[in-house]
Amino acid sequence: MSKKSMWTLKLSTAAIALIPAAIGINYLGKLFAGLLKLPLWLDSIGTVLASMLAGPIIGALSGIINNVIFGLTVDPISTVYAITSGAIGLVVGVMAYKGWLKSIKTAIVIGLVVGLVAAVVSTPLNIIFWGGQTGNVWGDAFYAFLVSNNFPVWLASFGDSIVVDVPDKVATVIVSYLIFRGLPKNFISIFRGSDKIEEL
Amino acid sequence: MSTMTLYVDKKSFIHHVAPLTKLLYVMVSIAITYIIPKLEFVLFVTLTSLLILAIGKVFRKILPILALSILLIISIIIVQGFFHPENQTVLYSIGFITFYKEGLTFAALLTLRVLNMIMSFGILILTTKHDELVEDLIKKGMSPKIGYVLLSVLQLIPQMRATMGKITDAQRSRGMETEGNLLVRVKAFFPLIVPVVLNSLHNTRERAIALEVRGFNTKMKKTFLNLSKEYQYTKTIQSILWAILIVTIAWRILS
Amino acid sequence: MSIIQVEGLKYKYPDTDQLALDDISFEVKQGEFIGLIGRNTAGKSTLCFALSGLVPHFFNGGYGGKVFVNGLEVRQHEVGDIAAHVGLVFENPFSQMTASKYTVFEEIAFGLENMGVERNEMITRMDESLDLLDITSIKDKHPFDLSGGQMQRVAIASVIAMKPKILILDEPTSQLDPQGSEEVFKVVENLTKEGITIIMAEHKIDKLAEYADKVALIDHGKLIDFDTPAKVFSRDDLPDYGITAPTATRIGKALGIKDSKTDLFPVTIKAISREIGDKL
Ligand SMILES: Nc1ncnc2c1ncn2[C@@H]1O[C@H](COP(=O)(O)OP(=O)(O)O)[C@@H](O)[C@H]1O
Ligand SMILES: [Mg+2]
Repeated sequence: MSKKSMWTLKLSTAAIALIPAAIGINYLGKLFAGLLKLPLWLDSIGTVLASMLAGPIIGALSGIINNVIFGLTVDPISTVYAITSGAIGLVVGVMAYKGWLKSIKTAIVIGLVVGLVAAVVSTPLNIIFWGGQTGNVWGDAFYAFLVSNNFPVWLASFGDSIVVDVPDKVATVIVSYLIFRGLPKNFISIFRGSDKIEEL
Repeated sequence: MSTMTLYVDKKSFIHHVAPLTKLLYVMVSIAITYIIPKLEFVLFVTLTSLLILAIGKVFRKILPILALSILLIISIIIVQGFFHPENQTVLYSIGFITFYKEGLTFAALLTLRVLNMIMSFGILILTTKHDELVEDLIKKGMSPKIGYVLLSVLQLIPQMRATMGKITDAQRSRGMETEGNLLVRVKAFFPLIVPVVLNSLHNTRERAIALEVRGFNTKMKKTFLNLSKEYQYTKTIQSILWAILIVTIAWRILS
Repeated sequence: MSIIQVEGLKYKYPDTDQLALDDISFEVKQGEFIGLIGRNTAGKSTLCFALSGLVPHFFNGGYGGKVFVNGLEVRQHEVGDIAAHVGLVFENPFSQMTASKYTVFEEIAFGLENMGVERNEMITRMDESLDLLDITSIKDKHPFDLSGGQMQRVAIASVIAMKPKILILDEPTSQLDPQGSEEVFKVVENLTKEGITIIMAEHKIDKLAEYADKVALIDHGKLIDFDTPAKVFSRDDLPDYGITAPTATRIGKALGIKDSKTDLFPVTIKAISREIGDKL
């Protein structure tokens, strides 16, 4: 990761051009997962990779713009979750910078944190916009179960999101980490933002 | 060339309203359905959005977009109808299933809000060209770099989708299995996604170079080839929308 | 005064140990056409990047020596500022399209919009470039709907419209089919008549021999030779650098025909035909 601050706001052109690529990768990840009938979405691999390559700001922007674009072209509802996607990019970028990108084990930890954060951010959105559900059959069944057993709405909704988000995000971060680890080195350096130029 | 867009090229009054005015409509009409949680009011707003869609001659185009949210809406009706915590008044029972008035009323409110959200968005996206919306946003002060990102995503995704077919065919012909148990299918995911990632990172680097040598990173003030279009009633409509927002907020605070 | 001046240029990509450019010095006069030759990984692209400021500003890494283009010291200016003086076109036509515009005309405007060129001036310049690159007939097409050769000409037009004094072409035909290559070479020939200084890395040696005033031979990041095509292509050690001499030079050598004026082997078919014609 960057030797400079991860929050550097002077984003390089390479980092900016990474955002559309990240969103495209998100999209194809989702299509491939559907093609293979995997029980996961895997629709944020690009966002996670962008965070690993270029830090939290580019990661967050990739996440937010991803959902705005899908809101404008496919499904308006997805705009609501722009904040969640942004948070995912932010968390991965920060944890990668802090050295959590060492092994599969630490990648799993990132995945758990990301899943948890995604659920925490999505819960109020789900409650405000649709009374607490997610539109996911398994999650909503769990929600109904919790509510009918007199759990408060916010807790039931949080449970709903956890069921939906955590497995998917753990898988997403593992897959992204494996891809990231295999990338040729000379692919990576231009995204890090301006390192110092060494005098020869 | 396919771009990702839902824009419908028609001649209507709504097509001639400024993109930013429509964007303001989206925000105001969604906001007020949450500010005033009254079923009749939300119904009225939803019908207004519907009417505007009809004036824009794009009513039928909204149906497939609404269909995407059908699962969410069914879930809202069932879950809230059965399980809403304030359920008391039994409306009717079918066998052992009981619907309650409180739950269903709440479900109706939520459903209308969702419908309005989708339809108001529909007004914007079905009657507005992306590049006009983005250029107007840049002229209002949005970063041209973000503008670039928005427009290029719309063009690059169809390009990437086209390469997807090639990659799947190539890997299948090398004997990759896409059917079978979960482990087999999980393993197949990597040979599909890795070429996509490598290819797009390679193109990203080259495109970044092309952008740099065309002054993408200069601090000079941008000019525009395309002249701003003349739009109808921009000031009037925007003032009305702001007024509506303020009135609803006042109503909410006072009542 | 020279329009390009390179003094002791050294460069190393980040996370690598080897110098990609190793103590390179040369000068180019205004209006000259310089051919850049050398095997793959010799350092041609890296040198092209160094002349347009991408090395070091885009790639970072280790840098030494000085590069001046049109009086600007590259190290001290951003790529965006250098872009007004130096244009760069490279191999892949697809990735040179910005992917944000809907017509060729708008695509060409991209750089001018960024540089804040006033609209009327913009349109004048764009019409000139369309004309020069012979793409006026496709100006309303979507950039992604074009053939490789057309796309590459749009890429050149986009850069030419920014009115650079120096144009760098890094293997602009290596991803094109024969027809596309021919289209590009034709417009390059047009450009040589415009007085613009051109640096072109190219494997199609015969073509290069036709246009070049001078040839730079690079290997392992070092400038092996920088001289007239006749001198460089007469070297006996060209194969050691992965280069095959132009057809005319090889025929000349085989038949012992030299250019009567320079006493070197001819490099173009035209020159060798003249010599043969004189002999008969
Ligand atoms: N982005 C990069 N990072 C690290 N090394 C690179 C990069 N690009 C090129 N190189 C290395 O620099 C050397 C010169 O490459 P290049 O200038 O592309 O050669 P050419 O254009 O003559 O084929 C090669 O050894 C190549 O591997
Ligand atoms: Mg090269």
